Amino acid sequence: MARVYNWQLGREMSYWYPESRPQRQFAAVFDTNKCIACQTCTLACKTTWTSGKGQEYMLWNNVETKPYGSYPLAYDLKLLDMLNGQSWAGNKYEGQTIFESAPAGERVLGWRPEEQDYAYPNVGEDDCANQVDSGAFLNLPHMNWFFYLARICNHCTYPACLASCPRGSIYKRPEDGIVLVDQGRCRGYQECVRGCPYKKVFFNPMTGTSEKCIACFPKIEQGIQPQCFVNCIGKIRLAGYLSRPDQVRPDNPLDYLVHIKKIALPLFPQFGLEPNVYYIPPIHAPVSFNQQLFGPGAGEAMKAYRNAANDPDLASLLCLFGSTEMMVSRFRRTGDVVAGSDDKGAELVRVPMREPVYVRPAVDPKNQLVRINCP
Amino acid sequence: MRYAGVTLMILLSAACSKGPKQVAEVVAMERAGLPANPTDAAWEEAPEHLAKLVPQDQVEPRVLTPTTGEVRVRALTNGNEVAFRLEWVDDSKSDKPGPTKMIDACAIQIPARIEKDLPEPQMGQEGKPVQVTYWRADWQSTIDGRGDTIRDLYPNASIDHYPHEAKPLAPGSDAQKEMALRYSPARALGNMRGGPRSVPVEDLVANGPGTLAPGPSLGAKGKGAHQKGGWSVVISRKIPEGLAPNQKTHIAFAVWQGSQRESGARKMRTGWITLSRRSGS
Repeated sequence: MARVYNWQLGREMSYWYPESRPQRQFAAVFDTNKCIACQTCTLACKTTWTSGKGQEYMLWNNVETKPYGSYPLAYDLKLLDMLNGQSWAGNKYEGQTIFESAPAGERVLGWRPEEQDYAYPNVGEDDCANQVDSGAFLNLPHMNWFFYLARICNHCTYPACLASCPRGSIYKRPEDGIVLVDQGRCRGYQECVRGCPYKKVFFNPMTGTSEKCIACFPKIEQGIQPQCFVNCIGKIRLAGYLSRPDQVRPDNPLDYLVHIKKIALPLFPQFGLEPNVYYIPPIHAPVSFNQQLFGPGAGEAMKAYRNAANDPDLASLLCLFGSTEMMVSRFRRTGDVVAGSDDKGAELVRVPMREPVYVRPAVDPKNQLVRINCP
Repeated sequence: MRYAGVTLMILLSAACSKGPKQVAEVVAMERAGLPANPTDAAWEEAPEHLAKLVPQDQVEPRVLTPTTGEVRVRALTNGNEVAFRLEWVDDSKSDKPGPTKMIDACAIQIPARIEKDLPEPQMGQEGKPVQVTYWRADWQSTIDGRGDTIRDLYPNASIDHYPHEAKPLAPGSDAQKEMALRYSPARALGNMRGGPRSVPVEDLVANGPGTLAPGPSLGAKGKGAHQKGGWSVVISRKIPEGLAPNQKTHIAFAVWQGSQRESGARKMRTGWITLSRRSGS
C-alpha cells in the first residue's frame, strides 16, 4: 500500500494506490436541514439512469431517515461495528480507516450485503430517535428528533470501490474526479460492492456488471448540475468543484462552505475515503450523533449554521442553492443580493437574500369577491 | 504388526478398486469424434487426472480457507480440437446472478506460446500470455433455456414500467432495442456478462493477474450439468500450439464455488500440469 494524505483525517494514511488527485474535483454540498425526503431526487435519478432490466432495485440516489433508515439495510452500522473505536484527537483521526484495517488477504475492510438487505429501501422512514410519550407531540420544541440524509456516490478521492477492483475496471476521471465503472471491462466480481462502505455500487444481474452513480457526467461536461440537484424540491443541493485545502478560493461556493466556514462536512470521514459530498449537519440532532456521521467539526458547523442569519456572506450563499441548473463556480454578495457566475465569470443567476412579502387580503373589495385557498 | 495389517488392507483395497484409471498428467486421447455432453460414454476412453486445487493466495483478494479440494479431468482430441471434462464436488448449484450472489464456474488455462520457460501459472505474465477458456453456470442455464427477464431470476418480481418497453415503441423494433441498450450499458458495449448467449464459455487471454481480456476466438464450446452433488463440465477449444502428435504443453485449472462466494481472484486453482496427447490405438 502507498502512503497518501487525507486532509479530512488530518494525517497520512495507507491506500492501495499512490496519491493522484484530479485536475479538479467534482463535489457537492447537501443541506440536511432543508431536506423533506420527498424523494424527487431519487425518482429523477431513477427515471434517468436506472429504469432498465436488472436495475429495478438500484437507487444511485436515496434518501434515508436517520437515525434508523439505511439502504442497503444497516450499511453504516455494520461497518462502524467492524471498525471498532474511531477516536479523534481534535481534527486528527486516531483510529483506523477501512484501508488500514483490511484483514489479511483483503484490500479493504468490507462486507457483502445480503440480497434481503436491499428489500427495504425506505426502512425507518420518519421514525424518530425515541418513543414519543402520550401527549408529548403537543409540546414544542419536540424532544425527539430525526432527519433526512440524501445520499449519492461520494466520488471519493480515495475510492474503496476502485481500490477493491482486482482488474482495474473502476477509474477516477482526471478532469473532474468522477468515479466510474468501465462497463466494457467490468466482469461482475462485485468486489466493489463489497468494498464501498457507502454501498453505492450495485450489481446488475441482467448485464452481469456492477453499476453506480455517474454524477450525470454528460451534464457536468456542459456545466449543468446533475439530475438529483436540479430536481430537488427543497433546494438543498449545490454542485461544484472543490479545491484542495491549500488552494482555497474564497469566491468558490464549495471552498467557502467546506474549507472556510467548515459548515459542510464529509459523511463518515473516519472510513478514510475522503468523500466529496459534504453535509450541513442537522441542527436539531444531537451533536454526538452528528459527530459520528460527520466527524469532529459537527458541533462548530451546527453553530455556524444557526448563526447564518448574522453572517451575510454565508446566508447569501445558502440562497444560491437550487437557484440555477448551471454549476456556479463563483459567488459574490452585493448588499442583499447574491450573484453566481460560471468559471469564465459570466453571471448565471442573481438572487435576493430576502424576497418581498405580498399579503393578499381574504376579501377583494375592488372585485367584490372572497379569495379562497385552493389552486 | 497392527500397522502392517492396515497397510495390507490399503494395498488390497487399492488393487480391488474399480475406479477410473488415473494418470499423473492430463492425457488427451485421440478420437475421431469429440463428445459435447459430459455424460457421453466416450469419456471413459480417456484416463482421469486428479488435479489437486490450492487457494489463490498470490494476489489480493486472496483465498485463505480452502474450498473445492480437487477437480477430476479427462481429455480427448480429434487433432483439430481438444475437449476436457472437468468434474468437482459442489452440493449447491449456484447459477443465478444477483447482488452478492456468486456463480459456479471453471476454467482451463494453457500457455499461448510454446517457449522455453513457462508463463507464471497464476494468469500468465507480461510478455508471456496465457489462453483461458472460461465456463459459467448462469451462462449454461441461459443456453439451457432460462429467459432474459428479471422474473426468470426472481419469479415474484413486480415491475411497474420499463421505458424501453413502453408505447409507442413497437416490441422487437430497432428503436425499442436501441432504447433497451441505453439502460444496459455493458450490453451496449458488447460486454455480455449477462443476457442471451450462443455458448456458455468464452475465449480469454491474460498477461498476469488483473489483465484478463477477450482473446482471439479459439472456437470455444462447452456444456455443464449439475448432477450427483457436483458439476460435470465439458470445455472444448482449438487444439493448442504444442499439442501436435508426440508433443506436450501445459494446462492449469480453476474452480469457483458460488456458494463459497468465489469469483474473480477468489478461486481454487492448480499450478501447471503437463498436457500430452496419446493415440488411442
